[in-house]
Amino acid sequence: MATMVRAGAVARSLPRAASRRRRRLNPNYLFLLPATAFVLLMAVYPLAFNVSMSFRDVDAGALIRGDAEFVGIDNYRKVFGGTAIWQAAGVSAVYTAVSVILILVVGFLLAMLFRKRFPGSGTIRALLLLAWILPSVVSGNIFRWMLDGDAGIVNFVLRTLGYPENIYWLTNESTAIVGVILATVWSGAPFAMILIIAGLLAIPDSVYESAAVAGASAWQTTRYITIPMLRPVLLTAAILSLIYTFKTFDTIYIMTKGGPGGSTAVLPIFAYQQAFQFFRFGEGAVATTLLLVIPLVMATVYFILSRRDQEATA
Amino acid sequence: MTLVEKVPGEVTAASSMAARVIPAVRKLARSPLLLTIVSVVVAVVYLFPVYWMIATSLKTSASLFRYPPQLLPDPLYLGAYIEVVFNSPSTVRALGNSAVIAIGTMTLTLLLAAPAAYALARLRLRYTAWIVLLMLVAQMLPTVNISLPLFAIFSQLSLVNTYVGLILANTGLTIPLAIVILRPYFLTVPEALVDAALLDGCNRWTAFTRVVLPTTRTGLISAGTIVFFTAWGEFVFALSLATREEMQPVSVTLSRYIGDFGTQWNNLMAISTVLALPIILAFIALQRFVVGGLTGEVDK
Repeated sequence: MATMVRAGAVARSLPRAASRRRRRLNPNYLFLLPATAFVLLMAVYPLAFNVSMSFRDVDAGALIRGDAEFVGIDNYRKVFGGTAIWQAAGVSAVYTAVSVILILVVGFLLAMLFRKRFPGSGTIRALLLLAWILPSVVSGNIFRWMLDGDAGIVNFVLRTLGYPENIYWLTNESTAIVGVILATVWSGAPFAMILIIAGLLAIPDSVYESAAVAGASAWQTTRYITIPMLRPVLLTAAILSLIYTFKTFDTIYIMTKGGPGGSTAVLPIFAYQQAFQFFRFGEGAVATTLLLVIPLVMATVYFILSRRDQEATA
Repeated sequence: MTLVEKVPGEVTAASSMAARVIPAVRKLARSPLLLTIVSVVVAVVYLFPVYWMIATSLKTSASLFRYPPQLLPDPLYLGAYIEVVFNSPSTVRALGNSAVIAIGTMTLTLLLAAPAAYALARLRLRYTAWIVLLMLVAQMLPTVNISLPLFAIFSQLSLVNTYVGLILANTGLTIPLAIVILRPYFLTVPEALVDAALLDGCNRWTAFTRVVLPTTRTGLISAGTIVFFTAWGEFVFALSLATREEMQPVSVTLSRYIGDFGTQWNNLMAISTVLALPIILAFIALQRFVVGGLTGEVDK
């Protein structure tokens, strides 16, 4: 390590060209180079391309020829001048906030139940992850079927419990969002559960023992010991769920295509529709550029927090 | 059991009975048997949607709309599978497309991600923190953000509607995922092992391929499986970059069974089951690897 530091200092003191050659000569970078170049080319370059598209008039022909005209902020003016983007932003906010809160609550409850070891606990825990690992196309379609107005099992259960009529969940503007949130929470909660179980197991038994000695009830123990000690884990779970929920496209596209009346059209759906249904690639690019800023901020926060966490535990 | 035996025998004051009953109830609530039962019930209820998919796929069109709904398909009917899979060359082709895309993505991802994850874990290089940050952020990007510009870029390169295009697009997002999964596994490889290999005449690369990779087989299986799952069920790239039906994977073609005037639910659930089955089976068979990879719990 010391020689590395010294070599670095030497390299820095050399003229520029020499230090660049030195770096090129380190063959260990060859391990890293292909993957990094690939990700830059396939993920970062498209993002830059996207920003450039958002300032151009891109129709289907210009898209293939690659000669779209520069139009300044025209696309931004059109998109932000309309009402659809604001509706989409609102739907995204409600959908993300409600889903994340429910994912954390359900994940926490599942974690409290499944943290104890009993015969088969590992298998059951892993099986629950199936909900998370199932392709969204599949889970979206299952929930479409379960929430079907005429023959769906959800309505059957509600009718059995005494609700007088069938609810047309996904074709009704006020209930469609409930349906997509339900599907989102179902697949997201097991992942939160796994994170929270790891957090629960990290709490030392001695803490619980002293709480028991002090005569704390189960509720008091949960409220004043478990939840505060879980804070860093809950924060990680919240930020990760936030990022993954915010970008949800497939579950919603499969279940409602953003309808009815745009009531489930979150920002990713809005961007997709602009580009691939109306062939307004410039305007779609505006929406995805906006879509980028929010996860970037969240990812940065997550990175800073997790680094601080690592330093604290190291 | 203890509850039933003890309580009737007690004829003393009610307070003393309560004093005996309450701890007994508490003890029962904490007993592993009850915990097991409650957990199993919760898990069964939670996974009911998966069961309902399979059950629906085995029903006749008539019994789909039976009221009350049949919990067990009766008669057990394989017609939906025959119709949407065996008698449907387009589904067979779509399954082939899914397999090509998933296997291609998995192979390319592992080839590129394994050396990179090793370098990020073990080789002391500059900018490591920045590259880790790049991978974390790239993994979290909304797919729509990439698929829209990629459609424009691929249109100019004639890569729309090609396997190469779809595999490249998927790999761009699965490399970061695989690196994040693999890095902890490489951290568990003792440095002395590599040093010994270097003394024995290996160079950095052969030490990696001959010594490091074989000891991290678990991690490679784990990352490979998760990448395969991701690419097999991938929807957004497939929807936007495979506009011709011949190129579309099952995740896209199954929407054909969603009609404007009513959906054939047994057919849709049959094709969904076909799409989910490889994942369910691989997940059960490789559970240990997958869960370890997802949670970062690395056991050596």
